[in-house]
Amino acid sequence: MTIFNLYIFDKFGTLLHYAEWNRTKKSGITREEEAKLTYGMLFSIKSFVSKISPHDPKEGFLYYKTNRYALHYLETPSGLKFVLNTDTTAINVKELLQQLYAKVWVEFVVRDPLWTPGTVVTSELFQSKLDEFVRQSPIFGIRNI
Amino acid sequence: MIIYGVYIVSKSGGLIFNLDNNVPRIEHEKTFTYPLDLVLDYDSKKVSVSFNRKDGINVGHVLVAVNGMPVNGVTLDDGRDVRTTLDAPENYPINLKFSRPKMTTNEKIFLASMFYPLFAIASQLSPEPKSSGIEILEADTFTLHCFQTLTGIKFIIISETGLNGIDLLLRKVYELYSDYVLKNPFYSLEMPIRCELFDNKLQELLAQVEKTGISNIDK
Amino acid sequence: MSRQASRLDAKKVNSEFLTLTYGALVTQMLRDFENAEDVNKQLERIGYNMGMRLIEDFLARTSAPRCLEMRETADRIQQAFRIYLNIQPTISNWSPASDEFSLVFDSNPLTEFVELPPDLTNLRYSAILSGCIRGALEMVQLEVQCWFVQDQLKGDNVTELRVKFVRRLEEVIPAGED
Repeated sequence: MTIFNLYIFDKFGTLLHYAEWNRTKKSGITREEEAKLTYGMLFSIKSFVSKISPHDPKEGFLYYKTNRYALHYLETPSGLKFVLNTDTTAINVKELLQQLYAKVWVEFVVRDPLWTPGTVVTSELFQSKLDEFVRQSPIFGIRNI
Repeated sequence: MIIYGVYIVSKSGGLIFNLDNNVPRIEHEKTFTYPLDLVLDYDSKKVSVSFNRKDGINVGHVLVAVNGMPVNGVTLDDGRDVRTTLDAPENYPINLKFSRPKMTTNEKIFLASMFYPLFAIASQLSPEPKSSGIEILEADTFTLHCFQTLTGIKFIIISETGLNGIDLLLRKVYELYSDYVLKNPFYSLEMPIRCELFDNKLQELLAQVEKTGISNIDK
Repeated sequence: MSRQASRLDAKKVNSEFLTLTYGALVTQMLRDFENAEDVNKQLERIGYNMGMRLIEDFLARTSAPRCLEMRETADRIQQAFRIYLNIQPTISNWSPASDEFSLVFDSNPLTEFVELPPDLTNLRYSAILSGCIRGALEMVQLEVQCWFVQDQLKGDNVTELRVKFVRRLEEVIPAGED
């Protein structure tokens, strides 16, 4: 199991934070364009899911898998979007994202008085806590050492 | 096992076949007194619930009938405007029927054409080299399995969540397609599939799967 | 995490410290602005900004899903008062259309030691609370109005906050999508 990269968007589609670990392929476009493309794709998937769902969805879209990776999605009622790419065998990723929200995002970003909501997170404390959190998770595994 | 639908998308992204299977009708009827405690959203095409869900009438459901009279968009069958009718206290108590919106054929074609670029973007955004497009998409209410043949045709099955072996079923649908569609000399490639034999065989297959599970499909 | 655990322990947080800090803040603002109406506005704004952040903590802590009816919203607000101020307002006075309700407080920790001078009757001392509710709900796509109907500081038996649903805010569509 391993973790590739993480995007955090706010409800307006602003990329608040990006981090990567074992990513081996770049998309060939700038970070900014890649974020826009990702957000646009997720937006379409959400609308696709709500239309095609046979019952009233509650959480809606959870993840998709290709043959190489899985994209996991957590959206909070406040519209924050956590997007984590892992390999296809990773399990309990939803719980991991929930923890990341509660223990890293809320603790070190929301409580940071110097952070203005809606802006890119630059706090080094947050970045190091996030890195620590991801590396310690069982999903991160021991690949690429 | 519940299979909700089968879709086939051609190489160029057009929806060439779809079958709805077991799609539940979600409708709720209730008599309301004034003032109406549902928050409704009136747009140009429909009246839908935007807040204050109640007794199964959920946010997103569309108004389909008032006192048994069908609603077409924002007007009643007899020409009265829905909003004026619901705003007038003398019309209460009033019976309203709501339904989860059903997809029209046009919407299905639109969704199929929407899935096509999503599939491609998912491959482009891959953090690992040589990724395929989306193979499984999971939501809390359904799972979508997609199988792309080497020739670029996509077979899509929408089912309940937590099922195993849908990939086998997709292969089987592919076989049926190559037997009863491609071998039919009157079928032209990329065109919508209108083959009765294929329809029947597919429905038989789905009925069998729902009864006895996927592992029992004859190989 | 240990930090979180210690914070959740209500016994370790002295509520009088909060009450005194808030009192000092309000009186300082009165000195700076020299006008109760301006102070009301500022307190409301401070509350609004707090609400926008506090909601994330609330959501993370309770894993609450999105509210789809006003009665759920009322319950969640009640729960938030319990978590953050350790008081439980009563929910009452629902409007017939279920879009408006009151939160009734028997006591208010912010005003525990406060006696409002007669020349400040237009000061909404606890305006931070109404601002906080408005800010928090706006973050979950609910626009509401929130105001004080009764206030113990002004001689009423209870403090009553009214919350009224205005509309649900639409999800923002990214540029270039339809």
